This record gives sequence, structure tokens and C-alpha cells, in this order.
Amino acid sequence: MLKPLYYFIFISLFSINSFSQKKVEPTEDDKKLAKSLKDIYTDDTVVLENSEDIITFGLNIKEQKVTVNQIMTESMINIDSRSDIQKYCFYDGQTSIEEFKINYRNNKKAYFFLKDEAYTSNDLFHNDVRVKYANIDFPLLGYRYNTHIKKTYDDIKYFTQLQFFNEYPIVKKTLKIEIPNWLNLELKEINFEGYDIKKEVSEDSKRKLKTYIYTLENIPSAFKEENAPGPSYIYPHILILAKSYTLKDKKENIFNTTQDLYNWYSSLVNSLENDNTEIKDLVKSLTAKANSEEEKIKNIYYWVQDNIRYIAFEDGIAGFKPDEAVNVFKKKYGDCKGMANLTKQMLLEAGFDARLTWIGTKRIAYDYSTPNLSIDNHMICSIMKDEKPIFLDGTEKFNAYGEYANRIQGKQTLIENGSDFILETVPETSPSFNKETYNYELTLNDDLIEGTANKNFNGESRTSLLYNFDTLKNDKKDAFLEYYLNNSNTNIKVSNIETSDLSNRELSLNINYNISIKNAVSKFDNDIYITVDFDKELENFLLKKRKTDFIFSFKRFLETSTKINIPSEYKISYIPEDINISSKNYDLSVRFIKDSNNIIYKKSFKIKNAKIETSDFEEWNNFIHKLNNIYNEQIVLTK
Amino acid sequence: MKIKFLIITLLSFSITGVSQTKEEIEAKDFFWGSNDAYKNAINISDAYKNESAVILYKNENYDFHKFGKNVTYKTSIRKRIKLLDKAALDEFSEFSFKKRFRSDKGQYSWRKKGNNIVGIKIIKKDGNEIEIDVNAEAIEVDGEYKLAISNLEVGDIIDYYFQKTEPFKSTYAFGFDPIETTLGEEYPVMDFKLYFETENDFFINFNSYNGAPELKEIPTDKKNFRRYTLEAVNIKKNKFPRWFFPLIEIPSYKFQVYFARSGKFEDRALAFLPEKENIIKKTVLKEEVLELYDNRFKPDGYIGDVKDFFKGKDFKNDEEKVIAAYYYMRHFYLTRYIEAIFIDEAKISYNPYSYYGTSPVFIQDQKQFIKHFTEFLKRHKIDYEIVVAKKRFDGTIDDLLIEKNVNVLLKIKTKNPIYVEHFGPHTCVNQYSPLLEGTDVYLLSASKNRIDAINKGKLPISSASQNENKKEVTFSLNDDFNGFEITTIDSYKGHLKEDQQYERLYLSDYVYEDYSKYETKSFVDLVKRKKDKIKFEKELDALISKLNDKQKEKFKKIAESEYELTDIEDYSFKINSTGRYGLDSYFTYTESFKGKNAFIKKAGPNYIIEIGKLITGQIDLNEEQRNRKENIHMYYPRSYNNEIVFNIPDGYTISGIDKLSKNVSNKTGAFISKAKIENNKLIINTSKYYENNYEPNANWNLMVNFLDAANQFTNEKILLKKK
Repeated sequence: MLKPLYYFIFISLFSINSFSQKKVEPTEDDKKLAKSLKDIYTDDTVVLENSEDIITFGLNIKEQKVTVNQIMTESMINIDSRSDIQKYCFYDGQTSIEEFKINYRNNKKAYFFLKDEAYTSNDLFHNDVRVKYANIDFPLLGYRYNTHIKKTYDDIKYFTQLQFFNEYPIVKKTLKIEIPNWLNLELKEINFEGYDIKKEVSEDSKRKLKTYIYTLENIPSAFKEENAPGPSYIYPHILILAKSYTLKDKKENIFNTTQDLYNWYSSLVNSLENDNTEIKDLVKSLTAKANSEEEKIKNIYYWVQDNIRYIAFEDGIAGFKPDEAVNVFKKKYGDCKGMANLTKQMLLEAGFDARLTWIGTKRIAYDYSTPNLSIDNHMICSIMKDEKPIFLDGTEKFNAYGEYANRIQGKQTLIENGSDFILETVPETSPSFNKETYNYELTLNDDLIEGTANKNFNGESRTSLLYNFDTLKNDKKDAFLEYYLNNSNTNIKVSNIETSDLSNRELSLNINYNISIKNAVSKFDNDIYITVDFDKELENFLLKKRKTDFIFSFKRFLETSTKINIPSEYKISYIPEDINISSKNYDLSVRFIKDSNNIIYKKSFKIKNAKIETSDFEEWNNFIHKLNNIYNEQIVLTK
Repeated sequence: MKIKFLIITLLSFSITGVSQTKEEIEAKDFFWGSNDAYKNAINISDAYKNESAVILYKNENYDFHKFGKNVTYKTSIRKRIKLLDKAALDEFSEFSFKKRFRSDKGQYSWRKKGNNIVGIKIIKKDGNEIEIDVNAEAIEVDGEYKLAISNLEVGDIIDYYFQKTEPFKSTYAFGFDPIETTLGEEYPVMDFKLYFETENDFFINFNSYNGAPELKEIPTDKKNFRRYTLEAVNIKKNKFPRWFFPLIEIPSYKFQVYFARSGKFEDRALAFLPEKENIIKKTVLKEEVLELYDNRFKPDGYIGDVKDFFKGKDFKNDEEKVIAAYYYMRHFYLTRYIEAIFIDEAKISYNPYSYYGTSPVFIQDQKQFIKHFTEFLKRHKIDYEIVVAKKRFDGTIDDLLIEKNVNVLLKIKTKNPIYVEHFGPHTCVNQYSPLLEGTDVYLLSASKNRIDAINKGKLPISSASQNENKKEVTFSLNDDFNGFEITTIDSYKGHLKEDQQYERLYLSDYVYEDYSKYETKSFVDLVKRKKDKIKFEKELDALISKLNDKQKEKFKKIAESEYELTDIEDYSFKINSTGRYGLDSYFTYTESFKGKNAFIKKAGPNYIIEIGKLITGQIDLNEEQRNRKENIHMYYPRSYNNEIVFNIPDGYTISGIDKLSKNVSNKTGAFISKAKIENNKLIINTSKYYENNYEPNANWNLMVNFLDAANQFTNEKILLKKK
């Protein structure tokens, strides 16, 4: 924290330019405005009083590409006592930032050092995205800066959408798009319902263009919530559908139809050489002893899952074009496209009709009816069986053949079919497919609760556990199982753990063990008080203050049964009341059954569509309150 | 985790060029050439089968060469590792490194750049060797190279080396960063060889500890050229349990190399150099300590500021005088500048330090502090000794090897001796690193002007009661029993205090206290120009306001985590006393908040209150920790005293307070709790203390006894019964 001595020795000659202080310091009006904005946007620090994007288009005749200019101007005001933020703009191989200016409120240049760095992400091994940014400070309430950024796109293909929301609240957002008459471009308005978005369209015959102006006022900052739906579901935005352009009376398609999008994808895939010589032996060894066609497919699919590491490269065209199968095979790593292509080529070698398949995961709201590069983000392989596809996603781990991860379920796919394409949807599964069952058979034994437990996992609950287990260090695996089964609670001792085969992705995962629990029984006077729940699922699931749906990683279905045998000299004098609730998104219940000397405590939690919608929140929270009450209640036994 | 080579000790590497350079070819030959004795090492013993990875061979090399002032420092590491699971595969599947770097050693030079060479090969299960073409496969972004290893599978061996060549120029004596490390690492090592290569003008201090093999000289045919090696086999992987000082418990080694071109520079080197380059220095005699420091700790410094402060003040004795001077210096030479540091950081002024005059004193290291403070003592004819000490995690003073490990403080020989150490913003008189407590030290003293005597001594050790956290918790239930309110008063003293002060006291909480105590000017007062003054004042106020908001949010989160609660409400925090002017004075603050869904369990018409949880997190030992085989090294003895007051709701009685009384006490520490009911309040007093800063493993079971008692207390409940 302390600065070295040289700060004291080298006394700088220049001091602050106080001549301009008054001109940049907040005015009384700005301070008032900042305070009133803070009353509205209590959790925010900076507000964009105005934010305007002006989009114009050009034509690069030599390259035969439509170019895009995007000028973004913002007027920012600090609504906190002080704020320190980063003003940034991303760019990549297809885009460039030509201007990046930050001015004081009097429009004199503010000298902030502009940095230019590669964007790094834990999810991507390598990508070509870079970021220009400046660290800027607002020393006082009401302090203002005006920013101006000019970004250009070399190819309209990569200019996919326009957003109204920002990480800061916006008092007035304007999107102005000037579409020249030679360009056929559709502005597809998405999620506009519920927002008072004004739209003006004017035609300028002189400049031969049509101008669209969209305005939206008083926009809160973008939601900073975990487990939220993908942005394309929740924010109003404009999807840019660049259909065609006309040059010298000749019409050139961009993405006029899905066929155009497919043609482009297809051209990238068709440029692959796919020399499979080096993978033939492997395919032979994987299929030679297989007893059925299905077993052959499984052997190949599982080999890819188990032996190819997922490493993502997104650099220019490599973001769209798969790596050669033989490269992926030799490197033993690849991204989704490389893995899909290797799976396809191996299956082709084995004599199957395998196809590359494009898909947008569940995070993306669109299907292929709006051809645009932002509608998909993933590639898998399909194998055609009786003219129906079976989907194989090599990036999944411990995924059994014929099972589909929630993240692709219900999503439309674009499947190769020569010069044509096929659109098919990945089937959805029911929550029962992912069912988890916990059974405890317990006896009250003085101060201890002892007995046996069984846990059973299916579908994605099984997959995730198998995968996590597989990635642990060998010498940590036993300890992990204990830790997992006792919820890291040392009052719970687990022993004699027996599991099903933890390397078999097709079997349901089963764990049996003995359990002994201390400090769950309290004796006061003649009564015994028992804590009956040690898992407390959904305990902290109150969805308060939240503005977006809560999305689960898959459809959950948990059934637990805890049977406690009580000493014969005691009778049950108090058990909590049952609760249950049912709606389109969930069925939840907790029941207590008295059965001679046993208490049977059953929970059933089914999340039917892997989400809780905002309209469910009130009812859901009521249930969670009641559930927490049960978790905080004791069963009372009296002599 | 991926293998990322940063500029940390040896592990900083890069490569050059697309085709192989001469250096690259030499490096490859050095590690993997015909002399590689480990090219066929592929098998691991059965004992290692359940490991994640096993290092078949690890080789570290440190080469020091020079030509006049020009030094070439070359370090390299090679590891040959058998990967036994996916976790290990993942760890070694990606590498990142820099190709070229600028040396930070010696004189600054634009010309010379260091370069790094990387070699990686894979040995497949069938013995087939595949060398990675690093130059072709690595991807460069902004000078940083990333490499994903092709064709790597579980069961493979990865064999890699990194060689760093760092040329630099040093006219004066130059000390390389010391290396102090355990022999073992994350994975077991079957074979380890460390080599040193030096020539004249390089001085080596090297020693092995806790059973690690010794460094041995390898004969060479050149007179000025020396080689040494340390070799070990079957090294266990490291395990670092709680309360553990690895460097004094498990095999380890330390070294530092010094470059000094002549006797003149040798004398000036701040190091315990061996007498000659061909001697490996293993220990440091007390006479050598005296020789190094006799001139270096001469009283020196401008103390006119203290003189001014003392003007018109009467002190009963020297003790009072020393204490007053220490706290004054802490302010005048440190906390007076804290505002400027924040102002600089927040860019409120581009050079806030200029307002403190042309040559203000800013004490920034231990040695400067000693010189400055002894100047004051000398002027006031107060006798003192300079304490030369070493932190406990690093071995005893008899194991002194590296000068950087020395800590210096002052023992002032007043009637009751006073110890003072270089201050932080909250350091008190008699406060010094707890890691020095109870250690044997050297005491340097001067008969006249020159330090000429050195004696052995021992630093006192604080007691559990001196290092205390006192906590008063008032716990009340809401009328409808669906929530609760907690008010706590936390007090800290002794060594438990300073961390809390750093965490909880922000700029405005203590800097203004010092201004007012010493009647000094705040930063804004120092600014003469009116316009600037107004601007700085406004912006500093805004900064403080922002910091206070963030502070409150942070403390709220700490309280939530301490009591394992989510979403507490009406949180308030107030500092009662900063405790900055005496080790024994308490730093005290009050917190209060409301919460739900914890501590209260409904039981028919009654309620069970998890009252034990209010002493908050206790050490909850798992089986592995219970079976601890290592000695226990803690920072200092300490005590935690809680008073919990539970306001019993009207119409209810309490059952089960007998379970709240515990008494486990032994020579290592204790957990003692008592409960009583007074004026419709349940009052519980708990006391947990750790008697010592060290326990031999033989006492671990005794510690487990009181740790378990404290943990069991957190599980205790009472019944709130309707009358």
C-alpha cells in the first residue's frame, strides 16, 4: 500500500490544471439530476443520460462485402459519491475501433490512457477478441464524461444485433439505422412487448436511403443475475437480417434465406480435405468386436468423449470452420466443431450416414427461421437412422448414446444434407429421466441416528456426478465420496460405501452406504427432539429481488424417503405439517407419515421445465418459506 | 490449473525464433541428448499407483557465469512426469510462457534481453517418443505464448524443460533472489538432481535441512570453475496441514548466490558471504553477524521533528519518552502520508506528496527505522540493543544463512525493557512479529559509537490472555419467533488486534485521530492554493464517502459468513475505540443486524434454540486431521472469550442449560463454558485458549480434546418451553 520514497524526492513540476476545474466540475443542476437518478437506480453508480448508436452501411466492391459503421456516443453522469469504471469496447479480426474519445462535460479532451489488450477467458484457449479500454474516474457526484466510439465491421455477416440495454441505466437510448436503398436488410424486432419503444421511419430520396430511429427511455441496467436465461430471451433488441444487396442491378444474396446461411456453412465444411487414412485403424479396432450397429456407434462416440479434450479456438474463420478430423485425432483436442467432424468422419469410416449439425444451445432464443450468425453457437454430429437423426455431442462427457444434454434439448438443428439441409429438433426429456432418489433407513439409537442409505442418480444428475468424480485426482477420490455423501458435515459419518461402476455412463448410478449421525437428537426432560433432514435441498432458494427467470442446468426430479425407527417406549407427539404445491413448472411436496414405530418423511421436488419463471416467484417463495419452516422444525417424541 | 510460467524464481521461461537456434539445439542436447540417463525412465513403483502423477525425474540447474561486469545467469528445470489420471492430464495439457523478457537485475539496460527455451516431449505407453514442435504449435498473443499439448493421454509421460538465460550487467555487488524450498512438491519425485555451476566472483550460501541431502562438490578440471550437486530419491509429495511450517519440518534446502567482483564489493554486499568463492557457506557465526552490521546500524536520521514535538513536554521517565516518540514517529513518518496515498491512487491530485515539503522523512524499512530511532535514543542517552532475529517458520538464528531473513528491532533498556519494531499504521510499542516471539536472537550493542558487542538473547513470548478476542453477543428473538436480532461488541488486543485493524479501520477512521492527537495538519490543510484546496477537499470527502459505503457492504458480508446467514437486514457497524496507542488497549467495534432461518427450530409449541452456534465457527476436525503426525506451529498463544446473553421471551422457560457447561483444560489450552439465568436472561460465558505457539505432535491429542469440546459446544441447544 505504501508508495516508495521516490514519490517524495521527485516532486512533479506540473500541478492540476485548475483553469478548467470550474468547467468540468458538476453544476448544481447536474448534482440534482444525479441525486434524482440515484433515487431511481439505487444499486447503480453511473447512468447514461443519453446513448445513441448511429449505424450506416458501405460497400467494399473489391471484396464484394457490405461494411458497417457504428458510431456510439454516450453522455455519462456519476450518481454516486465517486465512481471508478472501465469504459471499453471489444473488437476482433472482423472489426476495428477507429475512434475512441473521452471528453469532459465541456467537451474538452480528458486524457485517459487507452489500453489495448487481448481478451482472455477461461472458457476459450485462444480467440481473436481484443478490448480497448480506459479506467476512468468520476471524482464527484454529478461528474460527467462524454464518450465517442467508432467501430467498423468489414463484413455485415458479423454485425448481428443491436441492443437497448447496457450495464448502466440509460435515460434515453436511440438507435438510428440508415439503410441505403441498395441494401435489403430486415430489422427484426425481438422482445419489444412490454417496452415503450418508439419507432420512426423516414425516407430520404436524395440520399437514397431509409432511416429507422428507435428510442427507449428510462432503461434500467442489465440484469446481473446468475442462472438467468440467455440475453436473447430477456432484453428487447433488434436482430439484423442482412438479406441481399444490389450492385449495378445485380442482386447478391447475403443471408436471404436459411439456405444462404447453410450454403456459407457448407462451403466452409466442403473446403475440408478430410483425409481419414490415419483414423481407419482406430475405427476398425473400435468396431471389430461390436455385436451390433448400435454398439459400433457407441464405441466411436464414447471414444471421442473420453479421448478428445475440449479446447476452444475462436480465431477468425476458425470460429466457424471445423478442424480436419485427422488433426483432432492426432492432437487429441479440439473444439465442438473439430469433435463433431471427427465423430462424423469416424462414423463414415465405419459405414454410417453421419452428418455435421449446427445448433444454438438453450442460451440462444432463436431458431433457423432468422438466418444470422448469432442464432447458433455449437456443432454436433447426427447419425441418420430411418431418416431420423440421432444426435451425438462429442463435447459432452459421460453422455450415454441416445441421451441429450438439457442445453440442446428442444433446440432446432441444421443438419447437412448435401446441397440441401434438414431442420430437426432435439427431443426433450421428462424430469423423470434425470431422477435422483435418496432412501434413508434409520434407527434412533440413544443419541445417535444410525442406519443405511441409498442414493440413485439417473440422466444428467448421474452424468454430472460421474464427470466430477472422473476429473478428481486419484488420491482424492475416496475422500471426495465421503465428503459428498456427508454434505461435508462431520456430525455425519459414512462408511462401507459401495458404488455402481463409476466409469459406466449407461448404468444408473447407485451408492449404498452406512450412516451414523450425531447431534441430531436432543433430550429435554422426558422428550426427544429430532432433526430429520440433513440434505435440506432448496433451502436457500428464495428468489427475492430477482427480475429474471431462474434457469436450472437440467430438469430436476428428486425423491427422498427417510424412515426413522423410534424406540417403542416413545410415542410421536409432534410432526410438522405436510406441504405441497403444483404448477406448470414444478410439483413440490413434503409429507410425514406415522407408521407404528416409524416416522416416514418424504420429499418430492420436480422442476418440470428446468426453470422458475418470474410469474412463479411469489408462489414459489411461499413454498420455500414453508419448506424452511419444516427444515427448522423438530419431530418430538414423548415417553 | 495449467502450467503457467511467470517470473517467479526459477520458473520463468520463453523461446525464440521459428527455426531452432543454436541455443535451442544446445538446450535440447543438454537435457535429452545422448548423456540423458533418464531417457528410459518409464516405470513407477507400485506404491505410487494411486497417485495423480509421479515425477520420474526432476532436474534443476543454476549456472552463474561472468565476464567482468557482465553476468549470465542461466536457470533451467526439467521434469519427466507420468500422468496417472485426468486431473494430471488437465494440469499438464496447456503451457504458457514468454519468449523474451527484460532482466530486472543489475543496471537497467535496453540492449540486453533474456530469452527462454522450452522443450516438450511425450512418451506414449508403447514407448514411442513424440517431440512437440513448440515453435510451430505455440500461439502468440501480445508476447505471451500458449501451447496446447497434442496427443497427450492418461498413462503418458510428459517430459519438459525450460531454460532461462538472463544476461545483465552489475558493477556493484548483486544478490540473486534467495531460494528457500522443500525438497518435495505436489507430486512424489522418484529422482531429483540439482546442479550448481559457478566461477570466481560468485559466492554461494547453501544448506540442507531436516534430513535433506547435502550439496556435494563435483570435481572439475578448471581451477576457477566449480560444480555442485544435490541428489535425492523417492521424495514424498508435500502435505501442508493447518498450523504447519514446512521449512522446519520436512526436508528442505535454502540458498542464495551473490555476485561481487572484488574485496571492496564483497565488503559492501549486504550478505553473509563465504570467505572465498570455493567455500559453500552453510552457517553464519555471531562474529560474522557483528561484522556485517557494526557499521550498518549507526544512529542516523533527522529527528528535529521529534524535538519540536517534545518541546514543553515533561516525561516521568525514559519509558514514557520512548513511547511518546514511537507513536509520534508512527504518525509523522507514516500515517501523516496516508491521505496522500489514497489521493494519489484515486488520481485526485497528480502529485500529492509535493505538499509535504521538499524532503519529508518517510520511514519505509526496518533498517532505516533502526537508524532513525537509535538516533533519537542516542540524543536522549537512552541505552538500547539491536535485536537480530529470525522468524520461526524459517528455523532458528543458529540456522541463519540468508541476510534477507533477518528481522531487526530494538530492545530499549529502560527499567522495564521496551521493544519497538518498524511500524505499520497501527503497530504499537512492544509489538513485533509474533513469529519472532520466544526465539533466540542476537543482541548488538555499542560501547561507544561503534557497535562492538554481540550476545545471545531471547525474545519474550506473549501469553494467551495478552492476545485476546472478547466478544459480547446479545441475542433476542422477534415477537413471532420467526427471526432474531444480534448485537455484538467485539474487542481485540495483542497480536489478534492488528489484522482486525487493517480489515476494519479505513483512512478516515484513524488518520484524523492522529492529526488531532498530534495537532498536525491534514492533507487539505497543507494545500495553500484555495482553488486546489476546495477541489481536493470535495473529492477526498467523496472518496471517503464511497469507501465507507463499500466498507459497510463488506462488513455485512463478513457477518453473514461468520454466522452462516443469508440476507441479514438492518446491518450497522460502529467503531468504539481504535486501540492504536497500546498493545493492551482494545480495538472495539459494535455490530448489529437482524436475521431469519437460523438458530430457531420449532418443536410443537416449544422452540429449540441452537444457542451454541452463537460462538460461531469452530475448528471441525476430519479423520485425516485427527490423525495428524506433524508438530503444531501456531503464530501465537491466544484466547477467545465470549459472553452470550439471550433475552428469554416472556412466557417461556429454558431447559437444558446443563449441556452448556463444559470444561476441558490441559497444558495445551482449554475450552470452558458456563451458563446461568439472571433477570430472565440466559448468560453464557465461554473461554477458549491456546496456551502456546508451538506444540509437539505428542500433544496433538490434548489439543484435539479442547478443540472438540469447542466444536461440540456449537452443536448444543436449549429448549424454550412455553410456561
